[in-house]
Amino acid sequence: MRNWLLPENIADILPASARQLETAKAGMLELFRTHGYELVCPPLIEYVESLVSDGDAALDLKTFKLDDQLSGRQLGLRADITPQVARIDAHLLGSREGVTRLCYAGSVVHSRPDSLTASREPLQIGAELYGCAETGADLEIIHLMLATLRTVGINQLTLDLGHLGVFYALVNAAGLEKKHIANLLQLLQAKDVASLREELTCVAEPYRSALLRLPELFGPDCLRLARQHLPTLPALEQALAQLEQIGQSLEQEHVQVYYDLTELRGTHYHTGLIFAVYAEGWASELARGGRYDNVGRKFGRARPATGFSLDLRDLLRILPKTSPQKGIRLAATDHAAATSSANRLRAEGEIVVIDYLNESAAALNCDRQLVFRDGDWQVVPFH
Amino acid sequence: MLTIALSKGRIFDETLPLLAAAGIVPTEDPESSRKLIIETNLPDVRLIIVRASDVPTYVQYGAADLGIAGRDVLIEHGGAGLYQPLDLEIARCRMMVAVKNGFDYDSAVQQGARLRVATKYPQIAREHFARKGVHVDVIKLYGSMELAPLVGLADAIVDLVSTGNTLRANDLVAVEHILDISSRLVVNQAALKLKYATLRPVMDAFAAGVKIESQN
Repeated sequence: MRNWLLPENIADILPASARQLETAKAGMLELFRTHGYELVCPPLIEYVESLVSDGDAALDLKTFKLDDQLSGRQLGLRADITPQVARIDAHLLGSREGVTRLCYAGSVVHSRPDSLTASREPLQIGAELYGCAETGADLEIIHLMLATLRTVGINQLTLDLGHLGVFYALVNAAGLEKKHIANLLQLLQAKDVASLREELTCVAEPYRSALLRLPELFGPDCLRLARQHLPTLPALEQALAQLEQIGQSLEQEHVQVYYDLTELRGTHYHTGLIFAVYAEGWASELARGGRYDNVGRKFGRARPATGFSLDLRDLLRILPKTSPQKGIRLAATDHAAATSSANRLRAEGEIVVIDYLNESAAALNCDRQLVFRDGDWQVVPFH
Repeated sequence: MLTIALSKGRIFDETLPLLAAAGIVPTEDPESSRKLIIETNLPDVRLIIVRASDVPTYVQYGAADLGIAGRDVLIEHGGAGLYQPLDLEIARCRMMVAVKNGFDYDSAVQQGARLRVATKYPQIAREHFARKGVHVDVIKLYGSMELAPLVGLADAIVDLVSTGNTLRANDLVAVEHILDISSRLVVNQAALKLKYATLRPVMDAFAAGVKIESQN
């Protein structure tokens, strides 16, 4: 029997990493707290209709489902915490006017991994800001996202900015149908120009050329080229102006900014600005977020919303390994007499380990020991 | 460091002029060398030689920044997490349905029919027959597809056809054209954002190279 074997893309987190993960999580939650973000802990299981918006096939497929014997309804294991937090803002905190800031940290479960190497049990941590449509709110969230990564020592970051408003301005002006738009979204995200050309044959100018041009509009110079090559539409101008405002503000703070107008992920809930953070040597984004106004509508209150999240398990893979804190040995025979001294040390944050088997310093992971000398319990070196 | 994933054979040979347009010249020939990492005249550009169907995987996980892969391979892979910004118009061929000479294909694929299809390309085959309204039992094979209809393993095959000589030699006929296939440049998404300054000139040179080749 291989009953020790875990399912595909499911892993344990072993001692040193688990401590590192908890420390990182605590640091991030503390950062959120000092920025006024209140912690919420939504449940692991909910009715599927609450977890998955209508038509979001990708999230639906990713959600494990089970039958609720109490209600006869279908439950889902959460695959994303963001809709749960939106539900809390829209309904439970519905009497609050003005801005609500919420944060969370918890495991989510994916029935299918996001990629071959991704965990099916990410540890999602994030922050959301409701009730403010200003660009300032987006900037606050982006700053918080960058600061979150800095808490774990990741400083060399590239911020990727995109805006769904550019794409929607073009397809709305061209009067395209829903099915057509879904195909275009997929092709644009892959920058698949060859297939895009086939897909756009029946689209009127100047929108055909503009949509064909979108895959080339990426990089630091992207906004200037967009103004030069895309038709003048009010919604489009507005999106570009917002990108420019945010990009300039961040560049002044020496953040490496990159634009990509075919960055169109999460179209089922994102509504405007979207962003992601990349770091050297890592093949996917470290954190992601954006505006998702009105997600709370189905829970009874439509609100402007912006936020970000990251998978702490994934992040852990690129963090430099920290060596575990060394402890203080206490011989089992001394335990009864030294209890109060040991507890005093523990209260100061020290690790005090009782040694039953006379083990080595390496086995105990201790570099000191508690011994009775000169009439008192003292900490002395231990090798 | 810039890493480009390529497969040996036709794709490699037809990519050489495009690499040259970007100022990249391999220092060894993968056909004669057994090395899997091939250096180039540029110290910070290297080529890795992988199976054609593995190119998207290497690029998706960032083991290579760029790669060249057939449209067939990309459709089967799904293309998730990849950019495919450029049709290089090389290694052209067609994805076709072929049957044994004398097999009545038209009546075998009437709406509601069920067909046994042998192929290396199950995604493409399933999608094609679903569009026609025909059920298929797909038999995944890794080579010598032409044999399947001859020995009664399948009614039809879905395969790449370039000259049609292999079909003719085995008494098969192509009965339906599914897709035109050519090779695409694929790019790792994070690499494009993080190594923009290095990658963009290479991509632009490839694009210019394709234009020149297509005019010849």
